[in-house]
Amino acid sequence: MSPDGRPSRKGRASRQRLLRRFRVFRLVRSSKGPESDGPGEDEAVRRRLGVGFWLAVVWLVVMAFIALFAPMLPFADPTKVGYSGPREPPSADAWFGTDALGRDVFSRTMYGARISLAVGGFAIVFGMVVGGALGILAGYFRGRLDQAVGFAFFVLLSFPALVLAILITATLKRSLLVVSLTIGILAVAPVGLLARASTLVYAEREFVAAARVLGARNGRIIVRELLPNVVIPMGALTLLGMAVAVVAEGSLAFLGLSVAGDEAISWGKMIVDGAGLRDLQNATHVAMFPVVVMFVTVLALNFAGDRIRQYFDVKELAF
Amino acid sequence: MARFLIRRLVLLVAVLFAVTFLGFSAMNFLGDPLFNVVGLMAELDCEAIEAGSAEDTSLDRARSDCETVAEARATYHLDRPVPVRYLLWVGDMFTGDFGTSFQNDQPVAEIIREKLPETLILLVMAQIVSLGVAIPWGVIAAYRANRAFDRGSTVASFGLLSIPNFALGVVLLYLLSLRWQIFPSAYESDSVVGLVFSMVLPAATLGLPLAASYQRLLRTDLITTLQEDFVHMARAKGLPPMRIMFRHALRPSLFSVVTVFGVSTGAMIGGSLVVEQIFGIPGIGREIVTAVVRDDFPVVLAIVMLVACTFVVINFVVDLFYSWLDPRVRAR
Repeated sequence: MSPDGRPSRKGRASRQRLLRRFRVFRLVRSSKGPESDGPGEDEAVRRRLGVGFWLAVVWLVVMAFIALFAPMLPFADPTKVGYSGPREPPSADAWFGTDALGRDVFSRTMYGARISLAVGGFAIVFGMVVGGALGILAGYFRGRLDQAVGFAFFVLLSFPALVLAILITATLKRSLLVVSLTIGILAVAPVGLLARASTLVYAEREFVAAARVLGARNGRIIVRELLPNVVIPMGALTLLGMAVAVVAEGSLAFLGLSVAGDEAISWGKMIVDGAGLRDLQNATHVAMFPVVVMFVTVLALNFAGDRIRQYFDVKELAF
Repeated sequence: MARFLIRRLVLLVAVLFAVTFLGFSAMNFLGDPLFNVVGLMAELDCEAIEAGSAEDTSLDRARSDCETVAEARATYHLDRPVPVRYLLWVGDMFTGDFGTSFQNDQPVAEIIREKLPETLILLVMAQIVSLGVAIPWGVIAAYRANRAFDRGSTVASFGLLSIPNFALGVVLLYLLSLRWQIFPSAYESDSVVGLVFSMVLPAATLGLPLAASYQRLLRTDLITTLQEDFVHMARAKGLPPMRIMFRHALRPSLFSVVTVFGVSTGAMIGGSLVVEQIFGIPGIGREIVTAVVRDDFPVVLAIVMLVACTFVVINFVVDLFYSWLDPRVRAR
């Protein structure tokens, strides 16, 4: 980045390439308004990702790597009771110390990334597939279908998210799939509303009319003309949505309502385990290390997500 | 306006029906309704027990259990078709009959009446904390926009919005109550002062992230207001800057905050479930979690319905209020 704050020529060129590749048409042209967030955020700022973005990405890539390959990495067995004495402070041997049962907190924190990221990733993909499909269909066909889908989204949003999740997890066996699906259902309505809104914009555009004049069927118009455009704003909000999903899973786990079983290690569960008053007083590390790792992960998701959102200039919907 | 009101009312009723129907379906299709009502007794094979020899005393208990099951079938109308059952259940709920907890046979309505005040106090205090923090914070940030304080507060509010509320609660509990011992770590209800004092940390846990988002909104609106002529006028008259900020610029800048205020009250109900758990507040959030763990389904369903319906009604009222403030909304 050049010192005068403008994007370097190289940065601008690569962005142009990226824009051409994805055929980005801006969803919202926001030069002013609440989105521009006061005088601080002008075009130049919006168009660069910045160091913070790449730091966040590095953290996320490392966490994803650890989550994927945890069993192959040289971590202590996270479920082994009595790895060393109970509630031992951090040492060279156990980097984050040990918890009340003498389990290795570092290894547990690393393994905890697996459920959080798996649930977060699955939930947002589920939300994008189901919500995206419903939103595009509703926005394209309008009429009765639009009303029905709109009403369904409205009802889903009428539950406070955590309450809906509790209702589902209360009645079913709490397996990884059930928890992921539950949080995925929470993602359907917000993603669907976004997909519908951008479909409404593009369905009016000339290239859609042109395709129709050329005799394209509805299915072709939706898949070839609308989908590539609607995917951009949805994709730009993926990381922000994932942050919400990770927090939602953490909240469920904190309440003891996420994936059941000792094998299922989750940050929320670790935090609640270490949050008893005596543990918090004498063995603060048991709760604080998962708190810090979870906070940094959510922060990284939010930060990178926010940068991407600004980069593609997508207006934020209520996630 | 009348047509708009009617349309909104119809929507309200439809959504309330849908929300209750969803809850009802969860009870009836995701789980065995009989099991959800009477617990393990649902698995008894009552016909076999009835057919067993009359003298066998070990069967007496089983027989009385069977009677309970039959009774439950009748009370919860489990012998009727599903749509009828749904309507009967909604009717019961409207008359305040939420069924009985099968943990201790206490009427669910009574449990809720007992626990609700704690949750309400928590929610009100959380809003007070969030507004009390956000208004001065936003005003100062806007007064010196893009200076050091404002930049710092942007970072701080981003961080506050990223920290999960249970993590924030644990950190606050550790720092302010265990480490520095400013606030009590346990819930107290002996005196009003003690109650309020012990609720400060839970309210801060709920309110601080909210304060961060209020602050962002208020700052943006204030920066716009500060360009207005009447602010220049006040400045030209030589009024002290903070008087201008609080007496002249603040009120016309509160629009966004007011609209978010209502919605966030509803959203905070979800957060209160977690916060009550951390600080041991005996409110409905703690009750629902205990009930889920014990498979006490009448309690779970009743609380979910109560919260969801409250949420719907709050959103409805905010929507009306909003359209009253800004007539353009009505045209939608």
